[in-house]
Amino acid sequence: MIGWTLTESESVKAKEQLIPRPAEPAPLADPSPAAASVVGLSKRFGKTSVLENISFDVAEGEVLVLLGASGSGKTTILRIIAGLEMPYTGKVILHGKDVTELPARERGVGVIFQSYALFPKMTVEKNIGYGLRIRKRKRKEIRETVNELLALVQLEEHRKKYPSQLSGGQQQRVAIARTLAYKPEVLLFDEPFGALDTQTRVHLRREIKALLRKVNVPSIFITHDQEEALELGDRVAVLYQGHIEQLGTPFEIYNHPATEYVATFLGAANILDATIRKDHLEVGSARVSAILDPQTFQDGDCVKIVFRPEDVVLSKNDFLRAGAAKIAAAHIEEITFVGAYERLRLRLERGGEDCGHESPYYLTTETPESQTKAIIATRPKPEAAKTKLQIGDRVVVAVTSFTVLPPAK
Amino acid sequence: MRHVRGFDVVRPLSIGMLVFMMLPLVFLPLASIFIFGTSNGLDKFWAALMAPEAVFALKLSMATSFWATVFNVLFGLFAAYVLSRHNFWGRNALIVTISLPTAIPTAVAGFALLLLWGPYGTLGRFLTPHVEIMFTALAIILANIFVTFPLAFGVIKPVFDTMSRSLEEASATIGATRWQTFWHVTLPSLRGAIVSGALLTFARAVGEFGSTILVSGNLAGRTQTAPLYIFAKFNEGQIEAANAIAIVLALFSFLIFSVLFFARDWLDVD
Repeated sequence: MIGWTLTESESVKAKEQLIPRPAEPAPLADPSPAAASVVGLSKRFGKTSVLENISFDVAEGEVLVLLGASGSGKTTILRIIAGLEMPYTGKVILHGKDVTELPARERGVGVIFQSYALFPKMTVEKNIGYGLRIRKRKRKEIRETVNELLALVQLEEHRKKYPSQLSGGQQQRVAIARTLAYKPEVLLFDEPFGALDTQTRVHLRREIKALLRKVNVPSIFITHDQEEALELGDRVAVLYQGHIEQLGTPFEIYNHPATEYVATFLGAANILDATIRKDHLEVGSARVSAILDPQTFQDGDCVKIVFRPEDVVLSKNDFLRAGAAKIAAAHIEEITFVGAYERLRLRLERGGEDCGHESPYYLTTETPESQTKAIIATRPKPEAAKTKLQIGDRVVVAVTSFTVLPPAK
Repeated sequence: MRHVRGFDVVRPLSIGMLVFMMLPLVFLPLASIFIFGTSNGLDKFWAALMAPEAVFALKLSMATSFWATVFNVLFGLFAAYVLSRHNFWGRNALIVTISLPTAIPTAVAGFALLLLWGPYGTLGRFLTPHVEIMFTALAIILANIFVTFPLAFGVIKPVFDTMSRSLEEASATIGATRWQTFWHVTLPSLRGAIVSGALLTFARAVGEFGSTILVSGNLAGRTQTAPLYIFAKFNEGQIEAANAIAIVLALFSFLIFSVLFFARDWLDVD
């Protein structure tokens, strides 16, 4: 994963220069030892392999999000860590202790199930105190802990209620308090917002994030919602068909996706073919200068470049603002108003060659629409108001930043 | 459903017809028990009820039904747990077999028990000089267990089936042993099903006649249950004696039925 920000570029002919993207927030100076790690985890159901060689660490107080579509194996990882499923190979280590062979009840992990799994015949306070009651703690201690946790999750006035009398968000807070009561080694959240409407989701997400900061327990979330993953995670692991595609900070995986899957899974992404030349990239007939790692990229390599819709700059003439590099010309095919911004679909014009063969992506009058390449661009409101564009307009397409995906092996 | 405004003649007519049809089929037979039983005065009724053999028959019915219920509820709980938690070859065959006894005529059930435990039965012949099972209270309990076998199971199993596995998984991750999970999490959710399963079993066992008459020997004061007492007294022409017990059994089944009917909400309360 390699990314650049274009600093200046007046036109295609102008000299383009690329400098690395601004450095992302520096990682913690002293990385604390892993609170939880999985090493070389694999799992099969019959002959189907659902997990392959999964390894990651979660640091003390860190929030790791496992992001993936359904069937990517994320739930299985969670269940293996919790001890509800046995791995085929690999180890689960919690605070330095190998717990792979331990049953769920001896692991001391807290699982927040998607359905919350609150005990329906117990009141809120009984639910929260359950972990301590079965550990035969003293009544006084149980009462004090329950009171503290009720205050922490702000449910004091609901203590005598049954789960069925609470809202989804309140039930979830009870579920969290119930696991915090016995001081879990790690918290595991199984799609905790899956059953809620969008508004409640966003609200709860923030609440839980704040709560986790307060209690400082290492946590693993699983979700299929990329927005949720980026907002909640200190780091995010993108899962695809049972393996980790990329593991990094939200900034890294969004801005420097390692694979096409990661790029497209984390929101809208435009992908174009490009050819590596000694000191630049060839994108259609455009030349974009780039400094590439010669270890990964060789002259003549076919690669894909990825850029986000918000990285696209449009201009009616060849004069582009500083920091944008022209990659093609296009005409506007569709304009959609999406609230905060305007979304445009652009059909690229044919130009140049692509990786030794004539690109089927670019448009000529004879090329059927289906064989040409469209990209998506978004423009914030002020810009859309300043330069009005209409369907059919011919524009110059430039990008302010992009990522080059390593060539396929 | 009324399509015309105003008085709809179909409504009272259909309700009236329903009640009229039920009259000779259900209402009148029940009413006649009470009418005849009390027609000679309440003191006669009371005397018939307090006859030693009558009291014994009622007590025996209650006791044998009680033990059959205890066994079948525990068994039903266990069977429902095994059959809804594990999937194995022959699982459906087992479910059908458990449910079978309700479909078998009670006389056949009693006969089958005789053939097994009787003095010349498959197993009974080895026990005969030392232990006698047939023609004792134990035989009545065995017959009751047989004919009410699937009742508690049938009520408990659906609750097990619909119970979310994540409750038990949550309990395990919190640190509970299997037993603690069963006691604190699973069992409370089954409370309603257990109570109604037990009541159904008990009510059915108290009224059991066909199998009991074959296996008990119908010995007054020893193995005669309440329904057998009714039958015996009726045959002897002692209608009042039979009637007194019939009233008690009828009232008893009303009671259990009302509990089941009106307490459903309470039993399933969350």
